[in-house]
Amino acid sequence: MSEARITKVVSSLARQVFEPGGRTVRDALQKANEELEVHREPVMATIAATLDELDAVAATAEPDAGPRVYELASAIISLGGYFDLGPMNEASYSLCDISDRMIGANAWHWPSIHVHLQAMRLILNGGCRVGQTSDALLEGLHSVSQRPVGPDEAARQ
Amino acid sequence: MAKASASDRVNLAQSSVLLVDHNSQSLDMLSSIFQGFGVREQIKCASTERAMKLVHQRNVDLILIDSAMPGMDGYDFTRWLRRDTPAPLRHTPVIMLTGHAAQSKVQKSRDCGVSFVVTKPLTPSVLLQRILWLAADERSFVECETYVGPDRRVRNFGPPMGMSGRRAGDLSAHVGAATEENMDQASIDMLIKPMRVAL
Repeated sequence: MSEARITKVVSSLARQVFEPGGRTVRDALQKANEELEVHREPVMATIAATLDELDAVAATAEPDAGPRVYELASAIISLGGYFDLGPMNEASYSLCDISDRMIGANAWHWPSIHVHLQAMRLILNGGCRVGQTSDALLEGLHSVSQRPVGPDEAARQ
Repeated sequence: MAKASASDRVNLAQSSVLLVDHNSQSLDMLSSIFQGFGVREQIKCASTERAMKLVHQRNVDLILIDSAMPGMDGYDFTRWLRRDTPAPLRHTPVIMLTGHAAQSKVQKSRDCGVSFVVTKPLTPSVLLQRILWLAADERSFVECETYVGPDRRVRNFGPPMGMSGRRAGDLSAHVGAATEENMDQASIDMLIKPMRVAL
């Protein structure tokens, strides 16, 4: 086994952050949240457009569309992840998770994808708010994603 | 690591931050957050290839990179930075932003040498907390054949006593037998006794 070289490093960031001046944490966060809020509407529009694209991919159901489904679902997490979109984040995470497992197991199952897309559409139309509807939808997605994907997962259960 | 209170101060007025994300909307949102934090300079890159050129041309104090970039992804960029660039560039703190962690990427993420992985949802509060953690980071920088980057062990306990892999500086929850005589009560009393100080 090779010898590990261990060094103490003080980064330039570490020297700067605690220098006198700057902003209080409260001010920095308030300003950052204000700056971020400007992006909310355009992001919601992009998420709606991405869901349209996912629907189109699912409608054609090409046999090699798995990676594209994962990529688009990831894009929703990537953008929606800057805001508190609660159920939408959870549903898109579930879609990523199940499509990643299906790609890995080489066992694609479109009905599971369709269920996710319908749930995400309903959540988006409901303003991504937490409530009985979103809870019921997420519970449904949870039971879909718990099912074994491919023969290997089925054998392990 | 302690959580910063609202009245603590953070000074990024002298800091240059490199933001790398192929998604322009995401890049703009990150930029807005850092604007709010009062960062002196933000450099935005839409590709890792551009970021590679840039870090050779100028100093940056912090790099934020999205994990899922087309072509060379955020993990490979960090691995390149840690292994194939000279110090102090290779020591630059890197925060990796990730959405869903694909099964195939988990090991890559562990081994690439990032300072912190931040999983979305990402709020300004979480990001600022990680920056403060980085600034107070006392982890050593480890370089060996299989890994280059900040020590992945946040607590410096190391493997249990007597096992291979322990380092000289490792702490242990195991106190062990006393090596010196017990202090007598008078000495203990003297240590905690209030004393008048003549100024």
